[in-house]
Amino acid sequence: MTTVATIKKNRETVRRVRRAILFVVSLLFVAVAWELYKAVGPEAGGKIFGWKLLPRSNNNAMPHVWDMLMRYNRPELRGSDRKIWSVVLAGAWFSFRLALVGFAIGSTLGLGLSILMARFKIAERGILPYLVVSQTVPLIALAPLVVSWGGKLHIAGWTWPRWMSAAVLGAFLAFFPVAVGALKGLTSAPLASHELMDSYAASWWQTLRKLRFPAAIPFIVPSLKLAASASVIGVVVAEISTGLKGGIGRLIIEYAREATGDPAKVFTAVFGAAALGLAMSGLVTLADIYMMRNRPKEASA
Amino acid sequence: MSAIEITNISQAFNLGMSNQVDALTDINLSIASGEFVSLIGPSGCGKSTLLRLIANLLVPTSGAIVVNGKSAKQARLDQDYGMAFQQSGLFEWRTVAKNIELPLELKGWDKTRRQARATEMLELVKLSDFANHFPWQLSGGMQQRVAIARALAVHPSLLLMDEPFGALDEMTREHMQSELLSICRASGTTVVFVTHSIPEAVYLSNRVVVMSPRPGRVAEIVDVSIEGERNDATRDNAVFFQRITAVREALRGVEMSDHVRGIEDR
Repeated sequence: MTTVATIKKNRETVRRVRRAILFVVSLLFVAVAWELYKAVGPEAGGKIFGWKLLPRSNNNAMPHVWDMLMRYNRPELRGSDRKIWSVVLAGAWFSFRLALVGFAIGSTLGLGLSILMARFKIAERGILPYLVVSQTVPLIALAPLVVSWGGKLHIAGWTWPRWMSAAVLGAFLAFFPVAVGALKGLTSAPLASHELMDSYAASWWQTLRKLRFPAAIPFIVPSLKLAASASVIGVVVAEISTGLKGGIGRLIIEYAREATGDPAKVFTAVFGAAALGLAMSGLVTLADIYMMRNRPKEASA
Repeated sequence: MSAIEITNISQAFNLGMSNQVDALTDINLSIASGEFVSLIGPSGCGKSTLLRLIANLLVPTSGAIVVNGKSAKQARLDQDYGMAFQQSGLFEWRTVAKNIELPLELKGWDKTRRQARATEMLELVKLSDFANHFPWQLSGGMQQRVAIARALAVHPSLLLMDEPFGALDEMTREHMQSELLSICRASGTTVVFVTHSIPEAVYLSNRVVVMSPRPGRVAEIVDVSIEGERNDATRDNAVFFQRITAVREALRGVEMSDHVRGIEDR
């Protein structure tokens, strides 16, 4: 039994290493494809069957991969001695913390709503349609509202920090997948398991803690992954639409303005945002591995 | 003293609606303490419903059920019985030992007491080496043994089983039957056992309750009364075969009245 377990563990490690290598290879592949298109694609863009589909391949629209990478090691502004990698890193870190707060608020809220909906059928019927509708509200329309509501909040000497609006907007996108996924998970336990808990005269809370919640974990984990990337998107968009300084979203907008003179610059911030998203989902993957460590492997696909 | 006293039980689903189903009508059954009683009958005869009524997972439309001298509800609240189903119903996120501890946790036992009892139960079902394994690492027969250990963990005076060996292969099944008998003999547990299999019912039981469907009722009660301790030799016993025939005939009478499927003759 133990040797079988060791073999399985080794196989798991091999699979993870292979996945990491594959990721690097795919990055290289994208870089090569990018350069290949630059070499053969039309400088001023092109048409296919009369549709303007082919993007321009000139250095302004598509800088060379090495130009974008080299840009990281040059100063952000002419004459400044601050290298751009440190600016992008600081921006990504700033947004990462906001996204983390948004993710935490959103997941907690989503989980709370799912428990409420699982507890009361009437709550599910009353709340679920509103949750779906809420996700159709454009974030950009909501941003100024959140900022103005937040600005009016003064609770016992505590005032609403500006970054809180961005975090809340991240939470607004993050709570939805968690609420829906967790609700599905909380109602996933088979009838026989519920009968078993009833035969022990278990209370509703005991059934929630010992049956419903653990049974929901395989559903909650993927919904957390969705929530993690949603919170990043929410924060980046919120930074732009609320004019919050210091984050990666703001950098993207600022650098995009310089795209004609310094086309590689905006890409440094875009990659920063991508890395931020990866860091966020990496964090959830770690949580995934921890939470699913004792589950049958078929279920954690 | 009788462990279970069932008086004039009727159970209807969707009562008063056009799709009303009379699952059970006018059931009377008295089960003595320490007795092993099997419920057998074709699909739809209400044997699982009857078991759930005893367990108070369902409330009867009319009639009374007394378990251990109290109402079925009180017996459930007091955890007077343990229950096992066809699917072992083990929680995949808990180790074998933790699965057995589940009913004890719900009773509010402290950790040392729980662990001691889990160890004791694992010895009983001969799975001591697997305490820290997860259910999905065990074979079907082992999982079912864990489920029985869990059902017995609170040392209940009554065990309710719904086709617990239904999903097992024949060899494992016979082995499990013998183990169940020796466990119950040692602890003096009363058992109500739902099954599809005639030989299983006869081998295990003091009495076999043959039920008929639509509406579910008791067609006949076959007294098994095989002399001496039951063991593998019992399966070759002439009396054993006579009783199997008796149950089969009782079921055939049931079949005459209705089109019937789902009885295993093996």
